[in-house]
Amino acid sequence: MILFTANKVYKQGLVIIGLSLLLLACTQADTPPKKTNTISTMSAQSSDGYSEVIKGKTLQFPQDHSAHNDFKIEWWYLTANLTTAKGEDVGVQWTQFRIGMTPPDVLQTANDNAWKTNQLYMAHAAITSPNEHLIAEKWSRGHPKLASVNPSPFQVRLQNWQWLSQSNELFPAQLSVHHNNFRYQLQLTSQQPLQLQGDKGFSSKSADQAVASYYYSQPFIDVTGEITRHGVTEKVSGKAWLDREWSSQFLTKAQQGWDWFSLRLNDDSTLMVFRLRGKTEQDHFYSARRMYANGSGRNINSRDNPNDIEMQPTQWQQTALGKHPIAWRIRINSEAINITTQASNPNSDMLVSTPYWEGPITIDGTHQGKGYMELTGYN
Amino acid sequence: MTSLSSTTSRLVLCLRLFASHYRHAPLQASAILLGIMLAVTLLIGVYATNENAKQSYGNVSELLSKQARLTLSHQTQDTIDESIYFALANAGFDTIASIEGIATDEQGRLWRLSSSDIIAAISNGAKQDAQSTGSVISVNIPLAELLSGQAKVLMSQSQRDRINKVTNQSQTITLNKLALDIITIDDHWGLGSALLADISLAQPLLNMQGKLSYIAVFSADNAQTDNQLIARLTDTLTQAGIDASQLHFSTQSSEGESLNALTASFHLNLDAMSMLAFVVGLFIAYNGVRYSLMKRQKLFVQIMQQGLDRHSVMLALSIELILLVFIGCVLGFIVGLQLSQWLQPMVAITLEQLYGAKLLPGNWQWHWFVQALVLTLSAAFAACIPMLISLVNTPLAQGAQKKPQNKQFNIIHRRQFVIAVLLLLLCTLAFTLTTQYRHSLALLGILVVAIPLLLPQCLHWVVNFLTPFMPKGLWQYVIAETKEIIAPLALAMMAILLALCANIAMNTLVGSFEVTLKKWLDARLHADLYIRPNPNQIDALVLLLANDTKVDAVYEQWTVDSQLNRAETPQTLIPVHLVSRDHISLTDTTVFKTTTDDFWPTFTAGQSVMISEPLSIKYHLNLGDKVELSQLKEHTLTIGAIYYDYGNPKGEVIMSQPLWQQSPLPAKPISLAVTYQGELTTLQNNISQQLNLSSAYMYSQQRIKTEAITIFNKTFSITVVLNSLTLLVAAIGLFSACVMLTQARQAPLARLYALGVSRNQLRIMVIVQMLFIVILTCLVALPTGALLGYLLIHKVTLQAFGWSIAMIWDWAAYIQVVVIAVVSCLLAVCLPLYWQTRKPLISSLQQEVL
Repeated sequence: MILFTANKVYKQGLVIIGLSLLLLACTQADTPPKKTNTISTMSAQSSDGYSEVIKGKTLQFPQDHSAHNDFKIEWWYLTANLTTAKGEDVGVQWTQFRIGMTPPDVLQTANDNAWKTNQLYMAHAAITSPNEHLIAEKWSRGHPKLASVNPSPFQVRLQNWQWLSQSNELFPAQLSVHHNNFRYQLQLTSQQPLQLQGDKGFSSKSADQAVASYYYSQPFIDVTGEITRHGVTEKVSGKAWLDREWSSQFLTKAQQGWDWFSLRLNDDSTLMVFRLRGKTEQDHFYSARRMYANGSGRNINSRDNPNDIEMQPTQWQQTALGKHPIAWRIRINSEAINITTQASNPNSDMLVSTPYWEGPITIDGTHQGKGYMELTGYN
Repeated sequence: MTSLSSTTSRLVLCLRLFASHYRHAPLQASAILLGIMLAVTLLIGVYATNENAKQSYGNVSELLSKQARLTLSHQTQDTIDESIYFALANAGFDTIASIEGIATDEQGRLWRLSSSDIIAAISNGAKQDAQSTGSVISVNIPLAELLSGQAKVLMSQSQRDRINKVTNQSQTITLNKLALDIITIDDHWGLGSALLADISLAQPLLNMQGKLSYIAVFSADNAQTDNQLIARLTDTLTQAGIDASQLHFSTQSSEGESLNALTASFHLNLDAMSMLAFVVGLFIAYNGVRYSLMKRQKLFVQIMQQGLDRHSVMLALSIELILLVFIGCVLGFIVGLQLSQWLQPMVAITLEQLYGAKLLPGNWQWHWFVQALVLTLSAAFAACIPMLISLVNTPLAQGAQKKPQNKQFNIIHRRQFVIAVLLLLLCTLAFTLTTQYRHSLALLGILVVAIPLLLPQCLHWVVNFLTPFMPKGLWQYVIAETKEIIAPLALAMMAILLALCANIAMNTLVGSFEVTLKKWLDARLHADLYIRPNPNQIDALVLLLANDTKVDAVYEQWTVDSQLNRAETPQTLIPVHLVSRDHISLTDTTVFKTTTDDFWPTFTAGQSVMISEPLSIKYHLNLGDKVELSQLKEHTLTIGAIYYDYGNPKGEVIMSQPLWQQSPLPAKPISLAVTYQGELTTLQNNISQQLNLSSAYMYSQQRIKTEAITIFNKTFSITVVLNSLTLLVAAIGLFSACVMLTQARQAPLARLYALGVSRNQLRIMVIVQMLFIVILTCLVALPTGALLGYLLIHKVTLQAFGWSIAMIWDWAAYIQVVVIAVVSCLLAVCLPLYWQTRKPLISSLQQEVL
């Protein structure tokens, strides 16, 4: 779940939140962004001319693993809770964004030069341990030799950061990221069916369903591989979670930011839960899906079951970016879930072009386990 | 406690007294302030300009980005394939792909177009530090339009303001027949004078599909040396199956340093001129201070007679001086920064055209003000303290008599003359020994100080010489009074002499250089059309020219960057252009300074090379010296000839065509010259159409000459401007000195009038006196200016740039500066005379009493 700056100061701009890679943005375009920030400068201010998310559309695989250049924003997003050979818990994040800077019909390119494009790519990577949070960011224009998404074999790449599958399917695949002071190379396998979030992949981001995205996940991924920090390489293994999301229409004007969780519970189930914060407590929108390895799952949201999901911050931490809720109590009565979460490293700021907080967490209460949390809009 | 408060009250009393003195004589305060202000203005104007330029060299950053660690280009100024960029980027190196090229607008003007992978540039810029210019998502640049290859170019606001005149404030500019929208962006992006496009537009526009000019490489790893980084890059390319042997890696630090070294003489010249102007300004200020003290001599004596101690008077005078210097410095600093804003574009053009250096807009620094203040204060005190001390220590009885002090001045002037002669002798001796332009410039500085010191004594001698020839009566009075006014006018005259000398010298240098350059161009250019196509078009061009029956001859030139190594001292690597031309071009167009007897046979046999004069002079290379070139390892060559080269501040080595072809050097020529038996535009159009070659790559002989002279004029415009400013400062100084003097002489003139001398006679008398002194000064400036010019040409320029120039005396320029001096003097005399004649006689007579 990723976000770009759901910053109060310039929330008129586009906000990308990774609610399991959910991207929302204000449709308000009455005042120009003060800080001339954000992708709104690159992509046109409104979603006019881009494709829209339509309820009832059936997602097609493997085609929908690839890029949807007619939508404004899209991402491929992996978080992993891993353990090193020495027993240290580390979290790993990799996200590649695609940004369509102009609607598909605006760019009238004679394809005479591969540098001409309306697609922009950005990628974020991080390794988080209790003591350290290493981050990196990369940008590139869409260019077949620099940054692209290829269907066969399936590949998502930005220069030397890439997800490379052995086939047209997502798995098995190798994920490699190389940066100055850290790198990782992970083997990813998964036999489980994909999980379509929301209504068969149509994921609402507000009670009135005015904004939505296409959204599917694979929360059951086995990981082995190597991570290198400051020149020291270690073997790692553990579990990972992939989210895929694309949309053209984003957060409503009233929405302030995002609290998103991917939770792996000790009864072999997984839980995706998010809260979109409105101006007051009553305006918050909650959504969750309990998922099982056989592909089954159950959706809960605050529109249909107003008080079923409860999320309360229990501890706050002042980080470089702002004051963030790093511990939570989460209760879903209909699922008999009553848990607390605690950030492994409270200082997991992603100080990139679009800053947010993202890091591994531990779970306690009715269930135990590990997971990931993303917080936006607190800076 | 009481003594402290009484000291303070005495001091305050003194200061109030002096303040009311200046209220009554605002001209005196204005003259002092004006002098200080002008001195500081020119000092700061040039200093700020120089500092900004020097800072730019150190921080040459990639456009929209930060300073790169190194750049990677082709050894032969050829383009490189973009696959190199992909290989490096995909191996994880932080890089920017860049293209530079020339495009022509509809009027045939040339524009340098820079372009890069804009996303890489901005994101690399953001990566380097938190205080970056912006991240990709927060930039106020229409990325979507640029990335999609739309016809848009970026230009900095200040450049936009500058070229608005050329483009008629148009929103578009048509380059290579494509209309481009101009997008103006803030100066803080550091575009300077560049026109920036995205690579998606530039590749097709410059006909460079799939090609790059260079790649900028960034590295945050400071532990890694440049050589280690180069080795990693080379390994990466080799693994990607790319031949890295033709690539040239150049580190940013070395580029900054070499640019610093290359431009050092240019900046030193500017510094020297600003110091000259500073000195001239100080002369004016000093003259003002001295005059105001002279006018208050009686006042000092009176207040001391009434019980004020010398200590308080001295302290109050010092505070007065500090205040005047401070106010003058503040005013000068503000005007100086403004002047620098005005000079910078001029300097930027010079540096860009002469050295290829890009200048970025800079910020002024507080410490410049502090430096200027300290310098001015020290200079002011050094000049005024002896005068203050002698004044305050004057015995009370003597001071009250208001003695003309002429005797004292006569002694001073004689001493000055002796010192000047000694300095001149010292310079004459030292000039024969110097080979460094810095030393020569320092000696020139001494000379510049010595010349005005000669002046007052010379004036005395001339007046003494003329005295016996003057008719009795009024003319004897005139000559006697002229002697009297030499002393009060001496300083202003010295300042104007200084400015005149500098001006004459500079004009001589510029004029001589222009003549030399034109002659050289005439000899050097023998073909009708010079073409420098893209390297991949050269074969097609040769074929096209061979098939054109009207083409008389085609001459070829090869060029690569190389390093010259003196055979005896292998550690000296001198960066040079290595050049070869066909034999006819070489024999017909090379203007030799000197050659060995058997030069041509050994040259053709590949045993000797010729080197340019700048290379020979800068690195003390002489005929017969053995040298090696980096591309021709273990092949020792002899220097067989030295030729004149005024087109290139960098050293050049020419080898014969057979030797070039035997050596591991690019086989294809880089440019061609053509003699043609028809209408030249027909040939140009033909080439343009058949090879799709922009006319920017073709130069007719006439166009080269015109552009060379234009560049030349621009190069010297900054020095000419500074010189004119110095002359202006001196003229203002002369004006203020004359005004003060004429005012001071109101009483004696009124007395003469009362004795029956007519107003007309008085006017003529005063004007003749002043003109006499000014013309004498101009006469002294004639030989001394010529001497300075000679030394500038044959010592400083030769040593700094390596250019031999035949000195040509320009009478018109000399007369021009003399006229300026005479006119400002006439104005300065006539104005107070006119004021005086409007006043009743009695008030003029009262001047003396008051």
